[in-house]
Amino acid sequence: MKNWFRQHRYALGSALAHLRKSPGGFLFNIVVVALALTLPFAGLTLLDNVQPLSQQLSVDPEISVFLKQETPRASAEALAPVLRTVLNDKQAGITFIPREQALDALKNKSGLADVLATLGENPLPDSYVLTLDAFKHSVDAGNVEPIAARLRALPGVETVQVDSAWVKRLAALLGVLRLALLLLAITLGTVVIAVIFNTIRLQVLTQRDEISVSKLIGATDTFIHRPFYYTGALLGLCAGAVALASVALALGPLNAAIAEFAQLYGSQFQLLALAPLPMAALLALSASLGLIGALLSVQRHLARMN
Amino acid sequence: MIEFQHVSKQYSPDARALSDVSLSIAKGELVFLAGPSGAGKSTLLKMIAAMERPSSGNVIVNGQNIGKIKPTGLPFLRRNLGLIFQQQRLLIDRSVLSNVMLPLLVTGASKLQAEQRARAALDKVGLLERALSLPQALSGGEQQRVAIARAIVNRPQIILADEPTANLDRASANLVLDALKAFHSVGVTCVISTHDEHELDGATRVIHLQQGQLVDGASA
Repeated sequence: MKNWFRQHRYALGSALAHLRKSPGGFLFNIVVVALALTLPFAGLTLLDNVQPLSQQLSVDPEISVFLKQETPRASAEALAPVLRTVLNDKQAGITFIPREQALDALKNKSGLADVLATLGENPLPDSYVLTLDAFKHSVDAGNVEPIAARLRALPGVETVQVDSAWVKRLAALLGVLRLALLLLAITLGTVVIAVIFNTIRLQVLTQRDEISVSKLIGATDTFIHRPFYYTGALLGLCAGAVALASVALALGPLNAAIAEFAQLYGSQFQLLALAPLPMAALLALSASLGLIGALLSVQRHLARMN
Repeated sequence: MIEFQHVSKQYSPDARALSDVSLSIAKGELVFLAGPSGAGKSTLLKMIAAMERPSSGNVIVNGQNIGKIKPTGLPFLRRNLGLIFQQQRLLIDRSVLSNVMLPLLVTGASKLQAEQRARAALDKVGLLERALSLPQALSGGEQQRVAIARAIVNRPQIILADEPTANLDRASANLVLDALKAFHSVGVTCVISTHDEHELDGATRVIHLQQGQLVDGASA
């Protein structure tokens, strides 16, 4: 075990010694690989911020049924069993919201109390909020539409609004973005592997003499390969750190712009950097990509030398 | 210790390096391989070091058949060999000491242990004071002695030297040969190729090769 650690320490030292000999080339490679990593890391940061937002919003299909202003209260309340028949869903939630309660809620939520007070009389109608249990796990807002159409045809109904549709669409959009990000990450991950593959190929060529001497004095293939693996992993790790730092730095000016936009909607939304654990995972992934590039390059080019 | 049984080596249809060579070298012998350039001396040494495989016949080194040895077994065979080349093949970006330490580090020796033994090896070839110099700062003869130190630092059973004095003046060549003879005197088997007849004076055994064929000296 001690010997194993010693061999790894030697390989790491050897990799660092070679990197110190050409720091310019190493830094250039870090920049190239970091550029390729920055885009998927930025996309992941964006998704990480937007996803909880969409999850906080209700995705349960809700239908708001607004009654006509002139509908008497008794007729409005009598509509509940009719609605249940139309929904044909025993689990469906049917909540009657009297116009007074709706006005109070509007006053409390929007801070428009002063404006609403000037109106004199309540402009809001009585309404129902229907929660459809049967469609809870459906992402297709279209499933709710036939029911909404039947509700619109009921006497006394002014408007029917399918509240969850846009949330569903946002969730679907995020799904598409996630897939696009995955494809982008795979493409750019391949680019990273290719760049590191080439970097290690050049290192193998410049260290050809050292490799052949090492072979002649009894070095095993593992002993010869290991410093190159460390070089690849270090390159990936450093590039990953640079990419993460670039994304974190970009969040400052981006958040300034977002803050202005979000304020228009009364929101405090800000993009946050990734948490330490996902960051560590991305660094490990970057190092792994470097290792894979080095592994492929070493296997190919040292096999040729043999 | 080393045995060639009807060994031939053909690089291409019209390039035959060795032709039906049979010989044996016992443990502790000092053997010179003599012959003009192209006689097959280097090929013979390369076969002992498993750098080449025979086209036919068997090469047995320390009981192992070189033709049948697996690539994973080569490093362990070579750790028992000390190789010295005409071009010293020192790593020019590393100090003399680092060059000599390398064979020990590849076997997993600690840095401290490797340094102590490398210094001892450099002392034996009279170059301890140049331990921290770069190889390029040394003369050809000194570089060859560093190569000898690198070859013996692992305490090999066999030293193979391919024309180690070819590019050296007479004084430097004598120093190199004296160093090799000193290691032979402590029981190390030495096989040295040369095309310089002067170096054969006083040699106990000389194997003569010509155009890939053994002329004489097949056995002691």
